[in-house]
Parts: sequence; C-alpha cells; structure tokens
Amino acid sequence: MKIDFTFSDTIAGYVTHFNRVERSVKISTSDGREFKGILTPATYARIAQNLEEPYADATGRLAELLTPGQLVYAYGVFYPDAAEGDYTFEIKSMVFPGNGPSVYRHEEQDWWIKQIRSIGHSYLKWQFNHPKDEIDFRNYRTFLHLAGGKKGDFLQETDTVSRLVFGFASAFLLTGEDAFLEGAEKGTQYLRDHMRFFDAEEQLIYWYHGVQVSGDQEQKLLTSEFGDDYDSIPAYEQIYALAGPIQTYRANGDPRILADAELTVKLFDRFYKDAEKGGYFSHIDPITLDPRAESLQHNRAKKNWNSVGDHAPAYLINLYIATHDPKYADFLEDTFDTITERFQDYDNSPFVQEKFYEDWSYDQTYLWQQNRGVVGHNLKIAWNLTRMQGLKWKDSYAEFSKKIAGLMPQVGMDIQRGGWYDVVERTVQPGQRFHRYVWHDRKAWWQQEQGILAYLIMYGVYKDEEYKRLARESAAYYNSFFLDHDDGAVYFNTLANGLPYLLGNERLKGSHSMSGYHSMELCYLAAVYQNLLISKRAMDFYFKPYPKSFKDGILHVEPDILPPGSICIESVEIDGKPYTDFDSAALTVKLPETEERVKIKVRIVPV
Amino acid sequence: MDVQVKPFQDATVVEVVGDVDGSTAPMLQEHILAVAQPGCRLLIDMSGVGFMSSAGLRVMLILHRTISGGKGHVALVGLSDDIKDTMSATGFLKFFTTAETLEAGLQALNNG
Repeated sequence: MKIDFTFSDTIAGYVTHFNRVERSVKISTSDGREFKGILTPATYARIAQNLEEPYADATGRLAELLTPGQLVYAYGVFYPDAAEGDYTFEIKSMVFPGNGPSVYRHEEQDWWIKQIRSIGHSYLKWQFNHPKDEIDFRNYRTFLHLAGGKKGDFLQETDTVSRLVFGFASAFLLTGEDAFLEGAEKGTQYLRDHMRFFDAEEQLIYWYHGVQVSGDQEQKLLTSEFGDDYDSIPAYEQIYALAGPIQTYRANGDPRILADAELTVKLFDRFYKDAEKGGYFSHIDPITLDPRAESLQHNRAKKNWNSVGDHAPAYLINLYIATHDPKYADFLEDTFDTITERFQDYDNSPFVQEKFYEDWSYDQTYLWQQNRGVVGHNLKIAWNLTRMQGLKWKDSYAEFSKKIAGLMPQVGMDIQRGGWYDVVERTVQPGQRFHRYVWHDRKAWWQQEQGILAYLIMYGVYKDEEYKRLARESAAYYNSFFLDHDDGAVYFNTLANGLPYLLGNERLKGSHSMSGYHSMELCYLAAVYQNLLISKRAMDFYFKPYPKSFKDGILHVEPDILPPGSICIESVEIDGKPYTDFDSAALTVKLPETEERVKIKVRIVPV
Repeated sequence: MDVQVKPFQDATVVEVVGDVDGSTAPMLQEHILAVAQPGCRLLIDMSGVGFMSSAGLRVMLILHRTISGGKGHVALVGLSDDIKDTMSATGFLKFFTTAETLEAGLQALNNG
C-alpha cells in the first residue's frame, strides 16, 4: 500500500540540527530516528505554560530555541511530493517544554504546586460554586461537562467523591490552603454519613456504590451500577472509598477515619481475601458477601489488578505513612509479593497478566480485557514497587520494576509523538511489528500519570539516566497537551498527535473515571519526587491535626515512602511560630497538647 | 424461613416467616425480586420474622433500588420493634413505607 496522500501528524524529539538558510530542522525521536521538518512563514510556536499562565508565544524565537538537544513537539503535514517513498514534512506548529535544551518548565520548583492549586480551585468552583458559596457535598455530582457545568443528573458515586476528597487533601498538604482541607473534611464526613454501611452483625464497614439524590430524598445504591460489576460489590469500589478519607487523615488525624479504615480492611480480610491461595477476590455477592456465589456470573471467584494491587496506591501506602502500624507494612509486603509472584508473564508477553481465576490460572476471556494489557497498570506496578523499596528493599521488586521500565517504552509508549498508550493486545500476531491498540490510539490522562511517576521515582532511586529522560519526556508530553487552558484542570484524552479528544465521556471533567484524583495525585507526587529526590530542593508541607488525634501525639510527615535517610525535617512552624519538638531524621513532629486545632508547616529537605 | 407469595386485593403479599439471616436471605431475595416487577404493588409481611441479620437488610436495600427503578410501590408490614430499631439505626427505615397490618399497608400504598 502506498501512502500517496497528505496527512498531518506530530513528531516528538530532540533537535539535532537547524539550518537557518533552508529554514529546516532535524529532529531525532526518543528512539533515535531522525526526521527533517521545514518551517514555513505560517509556522508558529509556544513554550508550554502552566494552568492559569498566559500563552507563551515563541514564534519569534525559533532560531534561538531550535538548538541541538532541545526537545520539541512539531505538528505538521506530510506531503508525498518528495523523492519516491519519501515525504516533505512542513511544520505548522511547535511546542517547547522549556526555554532551552536542558530546561523543562515542569521541573520548576513550584510547577506542580501551582498546578494542583489551580485544579483544586476548578473543582471547588465546579462542584460547589466556591468561594461564592459554601462547600456542600449535597451539591456534588459525579458528572461534569468540559467547562465544569453539571449535567443535570443526580448521581453521587462513592468512589468519585472519595477520589475528589483525595485531590483536595493532597492540595492542602502541598499548599496549606484551608479551603482544600475544608473540602476534604466535608467530603469525608459526607461519605461517612451517606455512603457508609456499618454492619453491626459482622462489626465491619462496607461502602455503598453511591446515592441518587433528589431534593432531600436519597436512594442508596448498594451494588455497582456499572456493566462489568453490575449487582455485585466490587473490591475496587471499596478500595477507592478509602482513598480520600485516608489522605485527609494524614493531615488531620481524625480518629473516626482511622476507625472506618480499620473496619473496611476487616471487610477485605473477612470476605475478599483468599486465605488459602493468596490475593483478594475482585467481587463479592451483595447478600451473602461470598466471592464464589453463582450470582456473580463472570465475576465469580476472580482476582485482578484492582483487587490485588490497588490497595497500595489508593490508600494503603498512605495509611501506613500516617500510622506506621506494622500490620499495614505487612499488608503492603504481602501485596507486592503477590504481584511479583503472580503477575509476571514474560515468556508470553511484555505486559503483565492481570486477570486470574481463583487458583491463579490466567483468565484471558474476561469481558473487554480478554488477552489485553493496560499500559498504565504496568507502569503503576513499576512505580509502586519502587515506592515499596523505601519500606522494605527486595531485589525481586527491583528486578520486576526495571523489567517493566525497560519494556514499556518499546511497547506502550508512542516513540513517534510522545505519551503513553491505553489498552493494547498483549501479544503480536505473526507479521505484526506493533502491539495492536484495542479501541484507538488515544492517550488517557491517568496513564500519563503512571508513566511520569514511575520514571521519576525510578530515576530518584536507581539514578539511571535513561529513566530521567523517560520521566522528562512523559511529563513534557502531559504538560504540553493535557492542560485545559480554556476551562481549567486537565483533558481526559488526547489523540495520538497530542490534540485533545473531546467527544462522549472523554469530553467530561467529571465522570465514573475522572474526578480530580489522578491529576492532583500526579501534582502531589511529581512535586515530591522532582524536588526531594531529583532536584534536591526543600519543600513545605501542611497539616492541621485535631487535638488528641494521632496516636501518642506523633505526627508522621514523610510525604511519601522514599528511600530511608534521603530526606529530613529542616524546620517546623506551628501557627506561624517556630517549633522545635520534632525528630528530623524520623520525620515526626511531637504535637503540642492544645485544645484547639493548630496549623503545622513542615519544611522537608533532601539529605 | 418460609416465604409465601399471594394476592391481596390489587396488591401482592410476600409473607415471610422465620429468621432472615445469611443462610436464608438469598432465598428471600429470589422470591422478592421475582415479584418486584415495574409497576408492582408489594406488601412484605414480616410479622412472622423475629430476627433479620445484615444480609436481610441488604436484601431490603436491593428491593428498594429495584422498586424505585421500576416505579413500583412497596410497604413493609408488621415489623418487630427490634427489626425497626436495626433498620432505623442503619438509616434504612426512612426509605420504606411501613404499616402494622396488611389493610393499613394497602392504604399506605394507595396514598403513596
């Protein structure tokens, strides 16, 4: 087949040569393939700007910016009027992630902090019309239009409320802005009042799928309304119900949150855990709470990435950080041991196997998943295994995460245009060079997050320059194309070429999938990894505990599980005044005995 | 536990006798969901139920969602004080119309 027509596309790569006379530029892709592009009088350019920053035009500075080593995204048209089999590529527009070959705006000290503040404000405004009106979660809705307007539905899904709470809590930890903590705490209270089922008989908690509200009336939805999970209680929803409250607990120490978490973990232990063969079941029957109930049909006695692995990033790492309770360290270790033992399938595919029957044999027939790989899940495993190294180092975790980090750029990354793909076939068929994209070659925001965080922390821990390059490329693509400079927050998907894709559910800023969680989690952790592990810069974190809240009056302030000894406390302020009762190396603050809440600012520095 | 389904004027009565617990709740669910069709008028007669576990409460929740989705009507009849207390404590009671007798339940459905 001959491509004898014009088409437009993006080339991502590093400038190798700029010919001022010919007005042409040579660009070398991430994997070292060189392309030549022609600048036209109409070519325009910008430098990536953060949310709420003005457009940064770079059209008049092209000759200055097109220096060797500069990363650039060049969008243009391929014309097949060159020599046989070749094309002329005329560049229409360019995006530079920074102001020079080694300058990346997303590595600025406050880049991610400004971004989380902006995203947090957008969601406060969209959901509650804050600051004009009070934050009131009765007005929360799962679905939001592109510009943040509500769609007229009345659904409040537990896990999307919890995810937004997570975002607000993270924004407070980074900025100290009280409105974010208010949002997190009111959301947590709303979850407790409206979405929580306390089972007095079993003495445990499970969380409703959500509530449908109508005026003062509300209908509790016990079981999932989603097609894959219909009429069951999926582990995934129970796991994510804890995400927001636990992140809030890190800041405020509210013992009611800890009690809810303990009783939900009890639910996992009693009904989801497979004590005999290991791991956690993905669904239980709503009446019998039995994972093997026939009523579960295609979800009967199954295990998957979410039920086995998502505990860690969603709530368990944060629960451990806040409590330092050894039982959560053991839970984490068991989780990562199970993932390491069961998910690797490198004889058959570069992607992990993530759907299982009860006996850990592979389920490659499940609904949409079949024998398909989710790029972001692979990256998420690499990211979280590396976090776990800070708690308990294991060579097996290092080997597995490095394996993923080495393979994914070959099979899950777009080495032509930048960014991370979505769902692909796990194996290539005879004659195929590329793993087939299942539905499309678009790129979802949350999968970009996994790529950025995986390579950032892996560079921070293993100091491999290749990881640094991949972290930069991942973050550069995200910050060049995902930020919605018109309406706020981030887009759901881009096309392969980086342009936002704005149709159907993927047009929304609030949905079953998106609610301000991944975008704000990314800001929080990218700021932590970039500043504390890589650029070696100080960061401030904020807490506002209730009196007599944390056990023994000890506040744990480590921002994430980082390598032991890599950071320490430099200084602490309480209500704006210096405070000295802290253990710098242990990353703990001994809370003063007060009757009122105090606001604590902790400066953490790399060692 | 025994479950009988029978007509009562223009409504359907589901008469439950015995304890509703983890072992019997699935059977109750099966009987109730079979008659919880769009537009139905159901009277769940629980005057013969002495104990209802959390599994029974979950059956009630699923019934509530099914009825609401299908625009039907349901009333719980003859709840014991203990079951009322349990449902009240878990916030379930307010979702349901309750009555002491079948006649009062029918009247409540007519009013609802």
